[in-house]
Amino acid sequence: MASNHSASSEEETRRHRAEGPQKHIVAFVMSLALTIIAFAAVAAGEINQTFTYIILVSMAILQVFVQMAFWMHMKDRGHLFPIFGILFGVIVVFTMVIMALYWVWW
Amino acid sequence: MAAHAHTVKRYRGLMDWLTTVDHKKIGILYLIAGGLFFIVGGLEAMMIRIQLMKPMNDFVGADTFNELLTMHGTTMIFLAAMPMLFALMNAVIPLQIGARDVAFPFLNSLGFWTFFAGGVLLNISWFAGNVPDAGWTSYVPLASPTYSSGHGVDYYLMGLQIAGIGTLLGGINFMATIINMRAPGMSFMRMPMFTWTIFITSALIVFAFPVLTVGLVALTFDRLFHANFFETGSGGNAVLWEHIFWVFGHPEVYILILPAFGIISEVVSTFARKRLFGYSSMVFATVLIAFLGFMVWAHHMFTTGLGPVANGLFSIATMLIAVPTGVKIFNWLFTLWGGSIRFTTANLFAIGFIPTFVMGGVTGVMLASAPADFQYHDSYFVVAHFHYVIVGGLIFGIFAGLHYWWPKMFGRMLNETLGKFTFWTFFIGFHLTFFVQHFLGLLGMPRRVWTYLPNQGFDTMNLISSVGAFLMGIGTIFFLVNVIASAAKKQKVADDPWEDGRSLEWSIPSPPPEYNFKQLPLVRSYDAWWNEKQKGNAEMPPAEPVGSIHMPSPSILPLVMSIGLFAAGLGFMYDHLIIAIAGLVVTFGCMFLRSVFDDHGFHIEPEEQEKGVHV
Amino acid sequence: MSAHEHADGHLPHEPEKATLEGRNKVLGFWLFLGAETVLFGTLFAAFIALRHQTLDGPTADHLFELPMVFAATMILLFSSLMSVFAVQAMHQNRVKAMIVWLIVTILLGLCFLGLEIYEFNTYVSEGHQFATSAFSSSFYTLVGFHGAHVAFGVLWIGLLIAQIFKKGLTVVTAPKIYVSAIYWHFIDVVWVFIFTVVYLMGKVG
Repeated sequence: MASNHSASSEEETRRHRAEGPQKHIVAFVMSLALTIIAFAAVAAGEINQTFTYIILVSMAILQVFVQMAFWMHMKDRGHLFPIFGILFGVIVVFTMVIMALYWVWW
Repeated sequence: MAAHAHTVKRYRGLMDWLTTVDHKKIGILYLIAGGLFFIVGGLEAMMIRIQLMKPMNDFVGADTFNELLTMHGTTMIFLAAMPMLFALMNAVIPLQIGARDVAFPFLNSLGFWTFFAGGVLLNISWFAGNVPDAGWTSYVPLASPTYSSGHGVDYYLMGLQIAGIGTLLGGINFMATIINMRAPGMSFMRMPMFTWTIFITSALIVFAFPVLTVGLVALTFDRLFHANFFETGSGGNAVLWEHIFWVFGHPEVYILILPAFGIISEVVSTFARKRLFGYSSMVFATVLIAFLGFMVWAHHMFTTGLGPVANGLFSIATMLIAVPTGVKIFNWLFTLWGGSIRFTTANLFAIGFIPTFVMGGVTGVMLASAPADFQYHDSYFVVAHFHYVIVGGLIFGIFAGLHYWWPKMFGRMLNETLGKFTFWTFFIGFHLTFFVQHFLGLLGMPRRVWTYLPNQGFDTMNLISSVGAFLMGIGTIFFLVNVIASAAKKQKVADDPWEDGRSLEWSIPSPPPEYNFKQLPLVRSYDAWWNEKQKGNAEMPPAEPVGSIHMPSPSILPLVMSIGLFAAGLGFMYDHLIIAIAGLVVTFGCMFLRSVFDDHGFHIEPEEQEKGVHV
Repeated sequence: MSAHEHADGHLPHEPEKATLEGRNKVLGFWLFLGAETVLFGTLFAAFIALRHQTLDGPTADHLFELPMVFAATMILLFSSLMSVFAVQAMHQNRVKAMIVWLIVTILLGLCFLGLEIYEFNTYVSEGHQFATSAFSSSFYTLVGFHGAHVAFGVLWIGLLIAQIFKKGLTVVTAPKIYVSAIYWHFIDVVWVFIFTVVYLMGKVG
């Protein structure tokens, strides 16, 4: 609602105006590193397949987490419903991936 | 300020209805369109029942029968039931939460027109001579290009795709409305139950409809561009379609039934003159049903052979849904318990709903048991089950809601005597039609058959079922007569015509002025209006001074965009790429215009409000 | 408060959330992204189910070139960074800087699209056509849907740049910029899963 918007965000405003691009560059470097690890794991080509899968999936999830938190501002105040929305979407997608892996071919 | 000086062209007559962004008028549009499709679907049902009235009947041919059952299912679910729910959502939700409009009035109008364009596209298949005939589930390989070579299934795909856009927009719109636009003081746990169920239903729409979109796209690609998603010969997989369809399809049935739960809660509580029993457990049950609704889709597919682990998991998850549903049933009973009950038509439908829905729920738990399901699968037992929950649940709920909110929507009461005729003919007709179908199924009559041989024990029960269907038809005619009779009367009803209204919609005139609330109300409790009345207040305490009210301007763009999509759908189907591209250009062109030209809207000044700017 | 009250005065700190219309737009868009998550998730599920169904066509391992995928990934990642810089510039009311960042964003988006078209062309010439196998159909549908989203984003942000030139940064245009940036990041997030699930896992086997 409109009222609780102005008061608490004065602080935030000052932060917004003052803050430089540092945290976004940090997020970028992290994304970069996670991407390179994933590509390197595949390019190396000599690691056990299951282990590679685990590396790939965890790198992807970490990177998405970083980008959503920093670039899509999901760590900021007032993002309860966006988090709910994405989270529930992810749950639905998760069940569908299970379906695709185990219940389509037998 | 200069800002107040905007003048906006305001239309009258037909143009007003084509350009309106007012949620109350859009609600009426949804009701008219949904009602028309309900009649079309109902006539298809009558023809099905006439064909099955006696063994070896030849009223319609086998091909026509397949088309009838496909179009009956598709029309009733997507073009009748959902729009009538959207009608009630539009008419009531902004009023119940104390808002002047929905969050996105333009998208609201766009949602209606895309739904309508999709519905019309689907139904012109009758005139094109290529009617979808692969069932409302459109299973492959039956719906694949190999086995459905005409354009029938293409109509299904394009029609639902376009109508689906409208539904998705509506879902997003109502979620945003309920989150952002509630009146001051209305916390989530003070929202009326109908608002809660619409909130959860909208969430289900948002997360389930994209799955259908992808399924339809994949099948469209298979049919039009030789893709191989479901072509077993080229490495595709037919079971994948079943999964995708039901990952959407099961939440879809909760999308349908949850609003009915909300309507029943409102009606029962109003006419028992009691606070809804167990409000917070009701909210919790709704959320739980919605969540579980996403985790049970494979119970439609037990016989495909997913294996004991999957079947076991989905059996248990399905049975779990009975728990929150049972909570709701008992809450309604306890709300009625000890209340001073008024048996209005709305309340009769609500009270008729409870045992009927319990019966549908019980057969649901029977079907949830995977080993037993191998016996029931694809028999009339299933037909009986889902008609008990969809007609006995949802349609009873919609009738209850229509009789209850009719004075608020139109400023006229429906006749109670005719209403009672509607109820009793429809209620008795319904049970006659579908109760015997349980036993037909157990005797082994398969669903979707064109005809059957005599002397298998099917003859009498099929005749009873057809007689019941005619009674339901007569009930619907009573309702239509009632509507026409009420329209003929020039009657102005009170703000709170039932005198026992509990939520905010009853605190404003019937029908409400176009801005709904002159001053946004201050909500001080659950059942806000009822509690103010108990304190002796004649109106809600205002949360703001009287002032100029900002309104969005009407727009013709949504209609044009939908016509564009309609043309594009036809163009793709018949391989006329020029028409298809032209259609899309029109649609995207309208999006461009909407983005470039800001809508400043207009203001209704306090003096004008005194005069009363009525619909 | 209505949109106009801010139009001529100076801009509030978070212009995208200054009006109810703006807040509705941001929230509604997030809900739309929830729907988009499921949309792409379903496409992923279909791809995962059909990924080994190559028939006589080329397999993922044969087809994919890691350097090209890496280049595409870098382009989109940079583009996403440019877009967040644009939003930051908007919050600091530096309109010129914002426009520059936005232009760089869509230029990188165009590079990505060009690369993707080149890539698809190469695949087709290697006998990996849309109708070759279930693998190829689901691959082109998934990656193509993503590409279509990039293309739409480029057109959309391009249109918004033009609007900023014409109307300036106001409480009406600011939510549009903010929402388009969220959309652009979302596209990048989807790409993270595409390069992981489609390309890298395809390479591993």
